[in-house]
Amino acid sequence: MELSTNKGPVREKSGRSIDFGFLGPLVMVAVIMGARYLFPDKLAFFTEASIYAIYVMGNNILMGYLGYVSFGQPFYLSTGAYAAAIYFAYLGNSPIVAILLAVAVGLALSAVFGPIFMRLKGNYYTLVNAALCAIGLFTYEKLLIGVTNGNDGLWFRARIAKMPFLDVRLTSNLFLMVCVILALLLFLYRWMDKSALGAVFRATKINSRKAKFLGYNPYAVRIIGFTLATVLSTIAGALFAINYGFVNPNLGENSRSIEVLIATLLGGVGSVYGPVFGAFGFLGIKDIVSRFMSRWEFAVGIITILVLFFFSKGIWGFIRLIGKGVTEKLFRKKTAGSIGKEK
Amino acid sequence: MTRLFEAIVYGFSSSGILFMVSLALSIGYGLMRVVNMEAMLYYSFGAYITYTIVHATGSFVLGAIAGTLLGALLGLLVETQLLRRVYHREMMFSMVVTYAVFLIGIGVIQFIWGLEPKPVQAPIDGMLSFLGISVPIYRVIIIAIALVAYALIQLLINKTITGKALRAGIENRDNVVALGININKIFTTTFVVASAFAGLGGALNAPIIMVGPYMGFDMLLLSFITVILGGLGSIKGTAVSALILGQVISVGGMIWSPLAAVGPFVVMIIVILFRPTGLFGVKGKAFGFDD
Repeated sequence: MELSTNKGPVREKSGRSIDFGFLGPLVMVAVIMGARYLFPDKLAFFTEASIYAIYVMGNNILMGYLGYVSFGQPFYLSTGAYAAAIYFAYLGNSPIVAILLAVAVGLALSAVFGPIFMRLKGNYYTLVNAALCAIGLFTYEKLLIGVTNGNDGLWFRARIAKMPFLDVRLTSNLFLMVCVILALLLFLYRWMDKSALGAVFRATKINSRKAKFLGYNPYAVRIIGFTLATVLSTIAGALFAINYGFVNPNLGENSRSIEVLIATLLGGVGSVYGPVFGAFGFLGIKDIVSRFMSRWEFAVGIITILVLFFFSKGIWGFIRLIGKGVTEKLFRKKTAGSIGKEK
Repeated sequence: MTRLFEAIVYGFSSSGILFMVSLALSIGYGLMRVVNMEAMLYYSFGAYITYTIVHATGSFVLGAIAGTLLGALLGLLVETQLLRRVYHREMMFSMVVTYAVFLIGIGVIQFIWGLEPKPVQAPIDGMLSFLGISVPIYRVIIIAIALVAYALIQLLINKTITGKALRAGIENRDNVVALGININKIFTTTFVVASAFAGLGGALNAPIIMVGPYMGFDMLLLSFITVILGGLGSIKGTAVSALILGQVISVGGMIWSPLAAVGPFVVMIIVILFRPTGLFGVKGKAFGFDD
């Protein structure tokens, strides 16, 4: 085998044809915005789903790229939300600062937990996160009750200030801001997927010893992945906080940890755009189902089983399958960059 | 001081229930390497059927028997219909699938019994006084039943052929299969026994807690902690860690009330980080990827 065909995880740049893939995030967000104007009364849903997509993107890094299933993602989400909420309620009123604060909190969380957790085997990781989530829920609900108001929730809608260009207190403007952030994050996400980093993520998932052999430190790579996932979750949490105008411990409940896993599975694990489809698909189903039943664990369970056994590639995988035949050109460039994508 | 002793007795009764409920989980991944999160359904359904029977007939014993049987039946159903399909899959797959089944079960409970928590009257109200310590007789009965359960399961594992094959299977599954032993059948038997105990645990716990659709969630993490602390595939370990956790909840809660809620989770994190094989775990058989 020639060496040139085997350049490891780094994707070869052909340079001959222009890659239009960078338009993907724009198209995605444009479709979301278009749909929002098609269904004007569904604005709340589109905002929520767009934020949820960011959250699912975070989980997708763990689940799809690194192969870690976490039963404690709500903890990171609610920590971001509480960071923003406490900032709004007691310290200041700028949404931008709140989001940046959430990023900082996410980085801090990863600095504390990343090095510890990423030493664990997969299933221990799952359970440690579940325990952490329970402790976090308890902390926000009972231990910090003086700060967070416990189950009554922390209300701060009136304290959110205007931003220089956009008054996010208006829901339609908030939706625009979420769309911009989502587009930005999707660009970065796609870039991560195409870069050596994404390839090494997948390499450590499939065979961490071989990744080590290639000169990468799987442990460090996992910590990077964990950090990215956590920061995405905390950003989503802060956006949720701004969107709802209040935060209560509900957001971090253990029982909700499955939702983000299902959304990830439904969209398509380990793909760039899967999380967006997953978030919209999942929340869409939830929206429809919750008209028929108040608590909807039953439906979530059924959907999970169906997706796991019969629809394992998810919505994005399904779209790609159809798209493959129709627009082969877009998907022809499947080089080393997509190692392990087809799992 | 008497309060401390009372707390210890209360702790033992929690341990008893924890032990019975955790058996299904312990055997599930001790032997078959499947994380059966739906094990908590046997516990919840056991508690609910007890509620129904107690309401209809007024007999708690009948309710507890019904709970045990329902647990066994559900265990049989789930093992033969679902778990068989996920044994060969990776552990995380089974985790998510069984969690989904758990959610479906919670949905079924909500359809049948509704959302409101149901109170169940304890069969015996009296207090047992001894050296100035007074504890409800019912708690003492739970401890006794748990001890009997432990003795029975130890007999099953140590004195019967099934149990011997089971222990061999925990050590090395493939070798047992190679000997011509139908490990699936043995597993089904053991699993049904374990889920019957989970049902009984639910029935016995019904008068202590309010029977609600989400009672399984509270128990799920607790029994995970029990199994991990005890060590993979060790019934003795499960019993010992149930004893420890019961005291953490009860005595810890007496010292500082938040400990009752977070103590077990703190224990879990410490154990996972510093001794992943648990107290009685087989060395090198930590719960995790088989890599």
